[in-house]
Amino acid sequence: MTGAIIVQANPLLETVDLAVQCRTASGKLDLLQGIHLRLEAGRVLGIVGESGSGKSLTCHAILGLLHRTQMQRSGQVRLQGQELTNYSERQMRRVRGAQIGTILQNPMNAFMPLHTIGTQFVQTLRTHDGTLSRRQALRIAVEGLDNMGLPHPQRLLRQYPFQLSGGMLQRIMIALSMCLKPKLLIADEPTTALDLVSQLQVLRALDRLRRECGTAILLVSHDLGVIAQMADDVAVMRHGRIVEQGSVHQLFDDPQHEYTRLLLDSRMTAYHPLEQEQEQEQEQEQEQGGRRDA
Amino acid sequence: MLDVSQVSHSYAAGGRLWRKPAIPVLQDISFTLEPGMCLGLLGVSGTGKSTLGKIILGLQRPTAGRVSFAGQDWYARDRRARHHMRREVQAVFQDCYSAVNPLMSAGQIIGEPLRNYERLSALEQKRRVAELLEQVGLQASDADKRPAAFSGGQLQRINIARAIALRPKLIVLDEAISSLDMVNQTQILTLLSQLRADYGMSYLFITHHIQAALTISDRMLVMDKGQIVCTADSAAALMSSPHPAVQQLIAARLPEHPSQRLDWSSET
Repeated sequence: MTGAIIVQANPLLETVDLAVQCRTASGKLDLLQGIHLRLEAGRVLGIVGESGSGKSLTCHAILGLLHRTQMQRSGQVRLQGQELTNYSERQMRRVRGAQIGTILQNPMNAFMPLHTIGTQFVQTLRTHDGTLSRRQALRIAVEGLDNMGLPHPQRLLRQYPFQLSGGMLQRIMIALSMCLKPKLLIADEPTTALDLVSQLQVLRALDRLRRECGTAILLVSHDLGVIAQMADDVAVMRHGRIVEQGSVHQLFDDPQHEYTRLLLDSRMTAYHPLEQEQEQEQEQEQEQGGRRDA
Repeated sequence: MLDVSQVSHSYAAGGRLWRKPAIPVLQDISFTLEPGMCLGLLGVSGTGKSTLGKIILGLQRPTAGRVSFAGQDWYARDRRARHHMRREVQAVFQDCYSAVNPLMSAGQIIGEPLRNYERLSALEQKRRVAELLEQVGLQASDADKRPAAFSGGQLQRINIARAIALRPKLIVLDEAISSLDMVNQTQILTLLSQLRADYGMSYLFITHHIQAALTISDRMLVMDKGQIVCTADSAAALMSSPHPAVQQLIAARLPEHPSQRLDWSSET
């Protein structure tokens, strides 16, 4: 990616004064207000906030996936200088998947339970590239899964979503996104439904996607650990507004807003000596076979 | 108080015509839980933590072994005796929305165990429910609202209020904070610690969240593939355990500060 060196006039994703209103029986309700986000290619922008603060709604507003009659979007969403708010539904369908990949919290809902992983993989690839034959698409799928370090890609493609664990499905989802090479990936709480060990594997996969494909990631999470590990910049949201925005170091070292401080204080700091952890990691790699602890 | 000895469990693997071999999920689990203690049960998904929780709650008869609570074996007693034992053991589960009936009001949800076990007048029950709501940090006026009107954190507080309504001796917390956001997780943990100090209950805290377990537990058990692989009385003891499953859990913790990031740049 040469774009990383040249300072771009247009960032990859830019939202200007993005707002969402909900029509209710008792009048209009502001759900999102004044969302200004800026994301450069190859960077990770984290969005944090408690449940109900509008994190997911922001993602849906960017993707144009709001309820047609109840929700009303205003403001601008620009992807590489293109104004997405002017796009028709038909045009947006081309953007979603190919240019903006999406990973959602619950991987079980992201796949059709009636079709195998392979069918869905091939279908997605062929929708976005009409010239691909079934066989070519299958080959890309196998390569993609193999590349992600998933074991037995051939067998995986023949399996149904319910036969696989949540962590596995989430990694398949990332592998699928990787095959389409989107410029932007929106990851909405990608690890919240997973246990710690699967969480680490999924985050590693996302990190590879960024390093190898130069994909920018909009990472939504309520877990400050995920943000600390992954994000370059962070936006803190509350009640549908951004209360603080800055680089990840600035936010952790010198939080400006009192709500950010509250979030930082809610981290569970039980035991975290760093040197010991790295030593133990090395030990773990060397360690083989289970010894029973007395 | 709770004595689990040599419990093993396996699930039948289905099979239409001939039985397939059963899948073992728990092997030879033994531990005891003293009154007023909080025992953390750690492990990744699929290691049998929740099955063990169900067995302790008296909901799933183990294929082998004994579970006794206050000297009485859960599965050797008749229904009536089990009904009395059940009063002393309550549970809070991960999915707070599916743990409550969406058509009942918060007051009815919290009042249900009281209705089942204590003959109270309507007025008395209303007073007790209000008291419980305030104890878990909600308001007495919330009793008339239905579950849909609450956030996840608030609903989990209602589940906790229902669990403590009968002043049980043991509460099984099966991933009780896992579906909540960080602010709520910390608040619920604080609430649980406070309730334990007030009533002297015991907790069995089932989780994959190592920091949460360290914060609240007096003792931790780590499970891997249906077995207990590590017992630790302190954070330091847990950290120094050489078992790979324990080390895997420890290594999977995320940094608290961006300067402590795990370095993945060398991976391909």
